[in-house]
Parts: sequence; structure tokens; C-alpha cells
Amino acid sequence: MRVLKLTPDKCTGCLRCELACAYMQTGEFQPAKSVIRVSPFEGHTSYAPYTCTQCAEGWCMTACPVGAITITAAGAKDVLDDKCVGCKLCTIACPYGTMFYDPDTRKAFKCNLCGGAPACADACPTAAITYEEVATADWIGDFAHERAARVLAAR
Amino acid sequence: MTRHLVIGGGTAGMNALRTIREEEGERSEITLVSAERPYSRMVLPYYLDRSIAESHVFTATAAVLAEWNVKTQLGRRAAALDTRAGVCTLDDGTKLAYDDCLVATGSSAVRAPVPGADGRGVHSFWTLDEARGVLAHIAPGSHVVLIGAGFIAFTILNSILALGARLTIVEIAPRILPRMIDPTGAELVEGWLRRHGVAVRTGAAVTRIEDRGGRRRLRFKGGRDILCDVVIMATGIKTNLEWLAGSGLRVNRGIVVDERLRSSVANVYAAGDVAEGRDLVTGEPAIHAIEPTAQEHGRVAGANMAGRDATYRGSLSMNIVEVCHLDVASFGAWDDPGAEAFTAVRRERPAYRKLLWRGDRLTGALILGRSSDVWTTNDIGMLKGLVQSGNSLAAWKEHLRGNPFDVKPAFIASRTTATLLPLTLLGRASKAPGTTPVAV
Repeated sequence: MRVLKLTPDKCTGCLRCELACAYMQTGEFQPAKSVIRVSPFEGHTSYAPYTCTQCAEGWCMTACPVGAITITAAGAKDVLDDKCVGCKLCTIACPYGTMFYDPDTRKAFKCNLCGGAPACADACPTAAITYEEVATADWIGDFAHERAARVLAAR
Repeated sequence: MTRHLVIGGGTAGMNALRTIREEEGERSEITLVSAERPYSRMVLPYYLDRSIAESHVFTATAAVLAEWNVKTQLGRRAAALDTRAGVCTLDDGTKLAYDDCLVATGSSAVRAPVPGADGRGVHSFWTLDEARGVLAHIAPGSHVVLIGAGFIAFTILNSILALGARLTIVEIAPRILPRMIDPTGAELVEGWLRRHGVAVRTGAAVTRIEDRGGRRRLRFKGGRDILCDVVIMATGIKTNLEWLAGSGLRVNRGIVVDERLRSSVANVYAAGDVAEGRDLVTGEPAIHAIEPTAQEHGRVAGANMAGRDATYRGSLSMNIVEVCHLDVASFGAWDDPGAEAFTAVRRERPAYRKLLWRGDRLTGALILGRSSDVWTTNDIGMLKGLVQSGNSLAAWKEHLRGNPFDVKPAFIASRTTATLLPLTLLGRASKAPGTTPVAV
């Protein structure tokens, strides 16, 4: 399946992905409603995007008590709004911190790969986010580890 | 043809049943015994506040059970288990022979032993029937008293307020949520509740519940009486094990199970609230009467019943409640007195973090923050991941000592995702609900 491949060395921290994601997911240009999140490193001199890896277990999906999280044609785990009751069990079951909750709709939401045409990848001007046929991975762990090690060592 | 018997139609039983169908190589016979039609207890609060219809709570309709080719004994309770003969006797005398069986009979609500606790206008909120009873009696302006300020009580707190009722919470312990958060967290939640118009009375022992002209009057050991319309007792649960007397199963606080969810009798498994299995963090036997443990126990037991050799690493204690748009969550050994603890509190928001350590590993966590704060939701998941993965945070420990709110960079840079990605419960990718194949 195609997944969001993240190449943090190419990320400029422009946050276009967050805006594109929030608009696609909720109709608002509101980074707080984005399910891809850009984190700063080294005192805001480098950045990396972070989002759901569409993990094999699907902890969110298996935890849902009403079967409201399913697998789409694109292979993404996605929340069915008409089934989700807003109990938040998925937010404690997902060990990656990539489940979200919308207090306005009282529903959980997450990266659903925009039905196979991810808005974040489209919006990224530097190809830090690409949509590719590759195995999912910890895309930014090494990048963050290296940069954090420098900062922590300097303390 | 192998005959599987699943006793209990709750979360553990239904997950087991589905997993048997997912994993088996050849068609087997499955019989489900369940006192109630299968439904999800987790979603009853949303039925109570009328945000979902009653039909939404059911986890498997008759049509789905027929599609899964499951024979059902609904409305019947298991009364005895003869593990030597391999026969379960139901409350109407029906005898069911099995090749292997799963005991997943869950828990029941217990009421505080005070005079009047079984009287009119006093409810439990545990089963669907009880939820119907509570719903029928609450109207806008009703005064509802919740006796017991534990997790169960807190799951229905928002619903009661949403129905327009006035709410008082009464707790015998000196503070609320005694088994879910520490005193600092409890104090923040209590203050938040008062700001939202909920009356809280802690250290209050109810001595009697009386009928007074159709309303309830609560008497206390010291303190003023409370007059109200509806009393909901959320004073604890007990595991449903009595019917297993004489079965020969080894029972400690629950049915003792091994890493395959097998009891002391090789062809009898146990899952969910009745099972005493391994705690992921401590490695010790524990009962985790929570939804995720019931799901995981059920799936692992089901895989083994289907002939797979599935082992379980253990269950992680975790809970979340939303209290008037304030999220409160706990993970792992959050109350471990032998752990090193880092805390940080921002009273004005309010927000709170408590990180518990054994060496360089996070073994428990408490987190409290507003539901509208995205980073709270992100941190909730990441704290779960850190406790679940057991990743070393050696490089980050000193940083986190001074900045317990700074969970995210520690999670990412310690490559927690890389540790977690290969983990699956059954050694394969999970299937979506609704895609369970009918047995070959």
C-alpha cells in the first residue's frame, strides 16, 4: 500500500501541510485541527512532520468498542462518524499520539490518507512529505534523535 | 468438528468469537451463552445522554451471529462448569458439551450495604437494563446523586449534566477518583467540577436512603441530609465467579491464566474481568477490569482456541474520562510507591503531568488537560506508547525531570515509533471490523 513517507531533512517548517490537512479534514484553515503535526527541533532551526503510520496492529481500530474505525480502500484506518460515539478509547489505545478528538463534533478523527490523495503531500513544496508504495517506518526518529542529542549534550 | 463454547457475550467473549472465525483453518462449531444480547458497556453513557439510539449499543445482531455461524443461548446464564466431563450446565438445566471453552462472564455492580440501597429510585449503572432504568427517571431539573466517585461514576457524569439534571457526587473516601488519580489530580478535578456547578461531598458515609414523599432522602454519618430525585450507586463491581464453585479452576482474585489465557484446566480459557493475567508493566498477576484488556484477552484466547499458538505480553492498565471537557487519563503503575515521580502542574488551565519511573523507563503516567488542547490528546497517546514500549529514556530523563510537559520530543527522539511498529497482538495485521470471514 502507499503511505506517507516523511523526509524530515527536506522540511522547512512552512506548515502548509497542517493547513492543507485541516482544510481537507474539517473545512477550516486551522492548524489545531490538522492530523499531521510539524515539530520544531534545535530551537526552531529544524523541523519534522509527524502523523499516523497506519500501523499493522491498528490499536485505535481494535480498541473501538463499536467498530467505528475501519480500513479504507486506500488502506488507511479511518473513523466512521456515524458510528463514533466520542468515548476516546482510541486516544488512549493509540501508542503514537496520532488520534485526535474534535470537541465541536465530539468525534475522534485521524489521518485517513484523504481517500488516497493526501492533501499534505500535495501541499508540501519540498517533497518532505510524499505518498509512496513503501513499507511504513519511523520516519523521523533518527533525525530527531541526532538533533536532540546535540541539544541535550549542550545543556 | 471442534466444539467451542464461549460463555459471556461481553467484550472479551465477542472478541474471542470473532478471532476464532478469523484464525481457524477448518470450520468449527461455536456456541455463545450470554445472559444479555451482546452490547458494549463502554457506549452506554452515550445512550444515557441520548446522543445515540439504543440500537447503537449492540455489538452483534442476530444477523451477524448467524453470518458467523454461531449457535446462541441468549437470555441464559451458565450455572455450573464440569471441567472433567467438559460440560457446562445452564440455569434452565440445558447441558452443553465442549471441546474447549472460554469463561468471560465479566463483573456485576455492587451497592454499598446501607438500608434503602435496594429501594425505589436507587439505581446501578452497569447493564443496559439499568441504563434504561436511569434514563427513564432523569428529567431536566432532576436532582441526581451519584454515590461513589470512581471511574464508572465519572463515565456518566457528563451524560447526567447533558440531560439537564443537577448533580451531587458523594464519596466515602477523602477524595474523588481514588483508584484513578493521585491527590493533586483529584484536587484539580474537584475544583473543575465545582466550577461547572457540580456539588462534591467527600469523606461522606451514607448511612441510610429513605423514601420521602416519592423523593429520596440520604442520611449521613455527620453532615446534612440530601434530598434528591434519583440515586445512582456506583460503589464498585465484583467479578462473576460464584457459578464456578466446584469447577476445579484455580481462582485467586480472578481465574488464574497463563500467557495463552489458559486456566489451570488445559481446555478452559478465561478472559476479561474474570481473568487474572499478566500485567505488562509489573509482570505480576493482575485483574484489569477495563475494555482494552477484555479486547486483548478475548483476541488472544480466541486465536489459541482456533489452534494458533498466540502468547500475550500482558495487559496495560489504562483509563480515560472526560469531565466537563477536561480529560483525565492514567497509564500503567501510576500509583507505584516505589517509583520515582516527576510532576508538573498548571493550576490555572488546569493541566497536570505525573511521570513515574523505574530506572530509565516510564512505568506509569497521569495526565490531565483540557479536551480542546490538541497537545493533551497527543501526549495522552505518546505517554501510553512510552509505558507500553518500555523504551529507555536515559538520554531524556534529566530533561523530563525539569520539564514533565515535554513528552513529545522525548517520544520521537527516543525512536519509540520504531520500537512499537513491529508489535501486533496476534503476529499479523489486524482486520477491520465487519470483514470477518464466514468459516471455510
